[in-house]
Amino acid sequence: MKKKILIEGMTCASCAMNVERSLKKVPGIKEVGVSVLTKKAIVESDKEISEDELKKAVSRAGYKAVSIN
Amino acid sequence: MEENNIEEDLEVRTWKKKLIWSWLITIPIIFLMYSEIIFGIHFLTSSVISLVILVLAFPVIFVLGFSTLKSGLKGFKTFYFNMDSLISLGTVVAYLTGIIQFFYPLQNYSGISAMVMAIFVTGKYIESKARGRAGQEIKKLLLLGAKDARVLRKGKEILIPISEVKVGEIIIVKPGEKVPTDGVVFKGESSVDESMVTGESLPIDKFKGANVIGATINQDGVLYVKSTKVGKDTFLAHIIDLVEEAQGTKVPIQKLADKITSIFVPSVLILSILTFIGWIIFGNLNSAIGSAIAVLVISCPCALGLATPIALTVGTGMGAKKGVLIRKGEAIQTMKDVKTIIFDKTGTITKGKPEVVDFYINVREKYFWNIAGSLEKNSEHPLSKAIVKKAGLKRFSEVKNFKILRGQGVYGKIDSKEILIGNTKLMEKEKINFNKFKEKVNEFEERGETVVFVSENKKVIGVIGIADKVKENSKEVVQKIINLDLQVVMITGDHDKTARAIASQVGITQVVSNVLPEEKAKKVEDFQKNGYVVFVGDGVNDAPALKQANVGIALGSGTDIAIEAGDIVLTKSSLTGVAQAINLSKKTFGKIKQNLFWAFAYNIVAIPLAVAGVLHPVIAEVAMALSSITVVTNANLLRRKKI
Repeated sequence: MKKKILIEGMTCASCAMNVERSLKKVPGIKEVGVSVLTKKAIVESDKEISEDELKKAVSRAGYKAVSIN
Repeated sequence: MEENNIEEDLEVRTWKKKLIWSWLITIPIIFLMYSEIIFGIHFLTSSVISLVILVLAFPVIFVLGFSTLKSGLKGFKTFYFNMDSLISLGTVVAYLTGIIQFFYPLQNYSGISAMVMAIFVTGKYIESKARGRAGQEIKKLLLLGAKDARVLRKGKEILIPISEVKVGEIIIVKPGEKVPTDGVVFKGESSVDESMVTGESLPIDKFKGANVIGATINQDGVLYVKSTKVGKDTFLAHIIDLVEEAQGTKVPIQKLADKITSIFVPSVLILSILTFIGWIIFGNLNSAIGSAIAVLVISCPCALGLATPIALTVGTGMGAKKGVLIRKGEAIQTMKDVKTIIFDKTGTITKGKPEVVDFYINVREKYFWNIAGSLEKNSEHPLSKAIVKKAGLKRFSEVKNFKILRGQGVYGKIDSKEILIGNTKLMEKEKINFNKFKEKVNEFEERGETVVFVSENKKVIGVIGIADKVKENSKEVVQKIINLDLQVVMITGDHDKTARAIASQVGITQVVSNVLPEEKAKKVEDFQKNGYVVFVGDGVNDAPALKQANVGIALGSGTDIAIEAGDIVLTKSSLTGVAQAINLSKKTFGKIKQNLFWAFAYNIVAIPLAVAGVLHPVIAEVAMALSSITVVTNANLLRRKKI
């Protein structure tokens, strides 16, 4: 399962790493790719992960998930 | 998607505004700070100067720098530190020295704090601009789509926004106009320039039943197109998604840089504290503050963290423009170690569409093709289609008692004559003598053609040689790849004779023939014993082989392509894309290596210098800004390379 998250507030490469680290902690997520250039995170998971959980993970790192699809 | 685009320009504009304001205020600060040096006199007493600087620097740090401070200080709450955390701490501490020095003898760094912030903002502006340039290809793809469409509703032609077009609607595309969305030609004939989507430079002829791609440009005729896909499902939308996704994927070489980036900021914070303590013990408080600030502002995780993704962005963008879609960053690293490249035959080296290339008959040509074409019209077999196309009949003779003889041919009656068209097996079964044609049959087979007999009332009246022709530039591309010192192999389900005939036409000496589709992956595995393997196929029946290979390159023309099948996807059918993909991968990987080298070298040299107190905080900030600009600019230079 693949989801794309548009993220607000990432200003540099370490921000992308922060989001990546936080998303990786969500159980069930297999792979995470975050790009500060496209401002998007792409997560791959085995099971359905709720938008809420993803949003929380992003905000835990100090950023905002604007949209998920 | 377009929102994203506007937002990026907004980012550049915001930094630009901040840049102008920060320098407008900082330049007077610099004059005040160095008035004695510049003009040889003090205009004001030093405490008044300090006060004025504090007042001027305030908006630079706390207003213009607000978003940076907000983002950076959040890190101290969440423990997810970022680059802004370093700048925030550095500038705020520096600013505070300006207040403290009224009560305690201390070097005043408040003017410096404004300079550091102004330089930081400048660096961000330049970087965001260069970053925008790095992503320009994808932006162009986003802008490529048509804005509106001329549709036929209730018999009337109306112009509607593209978002309102539904599947199954009839769209009218006039000469020079963009095809608004993916569809099938329903009426009309024209040629269409598909270069923007597939990289194929020559216009493609379109007639009834042909697929058209949204965003391509209609050339000379009016096309009536029935839309098949709209919005997010179109080919262009898929390409954009794919390129965007690829830009977020990892290249293995960046692992170390990523690891360092993720612990970089906290490490620098600790290092800065240690520097401060060290200087207090072995030096004095003023140098301790200066060095600690320098360490904070010189350290730049961006150069390290951006080194790979920015080069990947430029590389994938360049590829997209040429119809070479790199789906996984890993592929570009793997590519440099590839030893063998295996080409599938049908549809890859050859066109995948059999054509009549030879024939030998002993009746009148017109009569012969009328019989062959009329009978074969009833069959869907690729060989039948080739014969129908060659016959090119406008009117077909009536066929009675038509029968398909599986694996052998077809039968039918035309004007009470019994017609059989098929292979040797059929002739033998029906005991039809073809001795007179034997020589021709051998000749055709030597050339790698499939032979089809046509018989009338059990007498052969002609033989047809059908071949799947090699694509125009297959030979040239194979030669290019052989020159790269790669072992080139062709794999096919064909008989050895046919396979070798095709292989020799393109200059391939190593052939694996008689391979069932499901065995292809196994064959790839065998070759992998000698090193990495690239497999090139159309992704239709060789998907497992594409997956098994270290790099799978899937190719097709236009929308007839299995996008998910390969690590690299070529949207044009010619093999040129294979050479371009290899070339682009190597060039991009080279850029990544260069970038990583610079980023590592920069931090390894700069941070110790800052710790040692050799670098003034302003110089440190300039160096920091330059380091990330260098990496982004260097990645943009990739564009100068020819692929």
